[in-house]
Amino acid sequence: MFATGLSPAAAEEPGFSRIPPPSLNFYGSVGLIDMPSAEMTYDGNVATTASYFRNHLRTTLTFQATPWLSASFRYNGTSNLQGLTALGFVSGTLWDRNFDVRVRLLKEGRYMPGITVGLQDLAGTGRESAEYIVATKTFATPLPGRPGKSGTLKVSAGLGWGRLGSSGSIGSPFGARPAPIVGIGSGGTFSTDQWFRGPVAPFGGIEWTPNERWGLKLEYSSDAYAEDVRLGAFERNSSLNFGVEYQATERTRLGAYYLYGSTLGVTAQIQLGPNHPVTPMRVTAPLTIQPRPSRVSNPAAWSTEWTTNRDVPLQLRDILDPLLRQDGLVLETLDVAANTAELRYRNLRYRSRINATGRAARAMASIMPASVEQFRLIEVSGGMALSAVVVNRSDLERLEFNRDPATAIEARLGYQDAPPLTENAVYGEGLYPGYSWSLAPYVSQSYFDPEVPFRFDVGLELRGSYQPAPGWVIAGAIRQRIWGNIADGQRSGSALPPVRTGAVDYAQYGTTMPNLFAAYQWRPALDFYGRVTVGYLEPMFGGVSAELLWKPVNSRLGLGVEANWARQRDFDQRFGFQNYDVLTGHASAYYEFDNGFIGQVDVGRYLAGDVGATFTLDREFDNGWLVGGFFTLTDVSASDFGEGSFDKGIRIRIPVSWFLGTPSRQAAGTTIRPITRDGGARLSVPGRLYPQIRAAHRRALSAQKARFWN
Amino acid sequence: MIRAAFIIALVLMAGCSGGQDRPNFNLEVYNAVRNAAQPKAAAVERPPLTRAVLDTLEGSFTEAVLERFDQLAYLFVEAERRDTSGRRIIVWRSEDNVSVTLRNGVLVSTHALGGDLIGAGIDQTGIGPAVGQHVRVMRFVDGGNRQVTMQFQCEVTDRGSTTITIIERAHPTRHVVEDCSGDVGQIRNEYWIDTRAGLAWQSRQWAGPEVGYIRFRRLTHNQ
Repeated sequence: MFATGLSPAAAEEPGFSRIPPPSLNFYGSVGLIDMPSAEMTYDGNVATTASYFRNHLRTTLTFQATPWLSASFRYNGTSNLQGLTALGFVSGTLWDRNFDVRVRLLKEGRYMPGITVGLQDLAGTGRESAEYIVATKTFATPLPGRPGKSGTLKVSAGLGWGRLGSSGSIGSPFGARPAPIVGIGSGGTFSTDQWFRGPVAPFGGIEWTPNERWGLKLEYSSDAYAEDVRLGAFERNSSLNFGVEYQATERTRLGAYYLYGSTLGVTAQIQLGPNHPVTPMRVTAPLTIQPRPSRVSNPAAWSTEWTTNRDVPLQLRDILDPLLRQDGLVLETLDVAANTAELRYRNLRYRSRINATGRAARAMASIMPASVEQFRLIEVSGGMALSAVVVNRSDLERLEFNRDPATAIEARLGYQDAPPLTENAVYGEGLYPGYSWSLAPYVSQSYFDPEVPFRFDVGLELRGSYQPAPGWVIAGAIRQRIWGNIADGQRSGSALPPVRTGAVDYAQYGTTMPNLFAAYQWRPALDFYGRVTVGYLEPMFGGVSAELLWKPVNSRLGLGVEANWARQRDFDQRFGFQNYDVLTGHASAYYEFDNGFIGQVDVGRYLAGDVGATFTLDREFDNGWLVGGFFTLTDVSASDFGEGSFDKGIRIRIPVSWFLGTPSRQAAGTTIRPITRDGGARLSVPGRLYPQIRAAHRRALSAQKARFWN
Repeated sequence: MIRAAFIIALVLMAGCSGGQDRPNFNLEVYNAVRNAAQPKAAAVERPPLTRAVLDTLEGSFTEAVLERFDQLAYLFVEAERRDTSGRRIIVWRSEDNVSVTLRNGVLVSTHALGGDLIGAGIDQTGIGPAVGQHVRVMRFVDGGNRQVTMQFQCEVTDRGSTTITIIERAHPTRHVVEDCSGDVGQIRNEYWIDTRAGLAWQSRQWAGPEVGYIRFRRLTHNQ
């Protein structure tokens, strides 16, 4: 009966923006084979690339932070080296970490090519360092025998310095390139004096993609691989490289190449695409808003006589709580009056807080007496109110099936700070004292040991927490390692108190107590949040921590102070302490920029007693993905700091819902430091305030308005 | 030995929790992996649907098929009302808590399908879209939790009367086709409308990029 034959071709059916095929090079940047091009990937993309050719393994994480700027972090290994390098005598594999930045100067136009300038390994030991400026122009090419279809030809040409100026040089326009300063404390500093200095050489190439699946690449390389050739790890017979690439899946592109007239190479380019979940999120269908009977036809339903009955709030609570629990919310308090009702709830399920707000609003609308017109919905975290969203019930009734319901309701929501709880509020039953526990596997990682780049421990973790009263928590964890190799890692010396370099000593014990603490958090005043935490705060330190944060619901700016007294714990991570203690603390400023960028500056004293500031810039996507970077400058000299010169790193967070497609508060996150040293190290305190509250404030709520009804 | 037994006991117990707090990350991932590893329950064999069976049911039921996934569900009426223009809005819900909302037979929202339709604006005078030209606007939530708006120019034509049979019962209908195109692509919705009964007995409607087309058949109609 169904005339499916009439349906339009599937290819013409509209789609959400797809992940465009990448075309990354051996360095994980958009480009040719070993050479870059001027293209950028799409805004917000995260790509990982693994490439291998004779003795060279490169793994890169590239983030397109804005449409015109991308940043990469690379870990590469060159094996079978034998001889003297700038870093000293090497025998075997040399591992190196690089940061790259690429900036688009000119977007490709109808006639003008795109132009990009790039800095490769801009703060490293210099082995991989290169600078370039490159132009790329795209052309459509006719396909023989396929009229109406066309392929794409990209032509790129550029000039390279450093590594990319080492073969076929045409001179040194900006003077000689100073030799990198190496030794202890090397790496980490921006080698600005080297940028664009020394010999410059042209490079270029073409990429032809006849269709969405296949790509052919040809390039002329200006990289001489001089040191690799000299140390016996490489043979370079030609400047020409050839390759073919195949788009295996929407996310994955594979490539095979013949390089430098001597060797074969392969790449795997995997695009993560933060806005393209592995599984689309499915949130259980909500309760439909039940409109109230009309006041004219049924005045009795609108009577407020119920307010004289003191049992009504308790009855409403008993009906409301199970409805909320179906949707992953828990009733904390309910305060009803003739025309308004205030609900405070815990959100166990939704990373998008507006999703929880929408569910709470629907539950309220389904049970509240008709006279209650205004709902104040307040999410509570650890007994502390985060924000109040005020919604009119008549708007819910009117707008649910509007043409543009999310925009319409968002325009009618009021965002406020939560007022203090009134005496009329009734508490949810059985919440205090409360407890929870869990037993689950854990994995902990350790990166970039010179011998084993990635080490990890696995085991079981038993966690428990007890909430004697609102705002109070006593919590702890015990771990039993089952297998791991972090304990076999290399120990490193330090000119500073070993506040973080003792990680290997801490990893020697199989049964440990990562934390055990008591905390209280509360609202000292409007727009202010407070916290005090005492106990074994983290595996390496225990002590006392106090924090005060100012962050109005409608403000982009937040300001906080934190003061801690911390004492170093025994390596066995049980109850004992070592002799080292420190007063550490920071004044912090947080600011929400546009497009999900969040900046943070922390100024203060660090664990080793050094004084300085940490600068952090994160980009958070509306589905909870986060990519960010940070660095810390303190009064510790580069040589006292040791390898890397100063503390820096990147962090990435992927929400569980992005994989599983079911709503969840949880996310997998990791912070990657090229190297962990003792300077610029911060205490890790459980339950810091800003991360708890920001997602429940106005900018995050309104940005995710699409989730209010859905 | 005791230590080994202790560890084995712990492993066997892993994935347990209790109390009122939300599950932590490790637990959630562990349970998800464990669930994924378990064999899926075999699809339930549905007995063939007959009018005799349908006649025993109270209330209205609709059959919905997600073409792209070849999934079938029977939907019951969760809520019904008229909007300010007098158009009938029906929220249909499945046993597994998926819901779709139709306004005078036209799909205006979905829940729990993924990439859900938040709202839709089209010209309607009676059942289905009004014959003629109109602009169709559809709003979805995408994988980034952002609202995505798609706009189409549509032409609605009446292809004449036809009688369709749904589970042994014939219904005289008019076949109405809504052809839409926009920058994002093309869609075609079809409706088999019974103006006398005031409903679309059958339709095939596009529900969004993640879902594709849904086919609806009204099995029972109890006024």
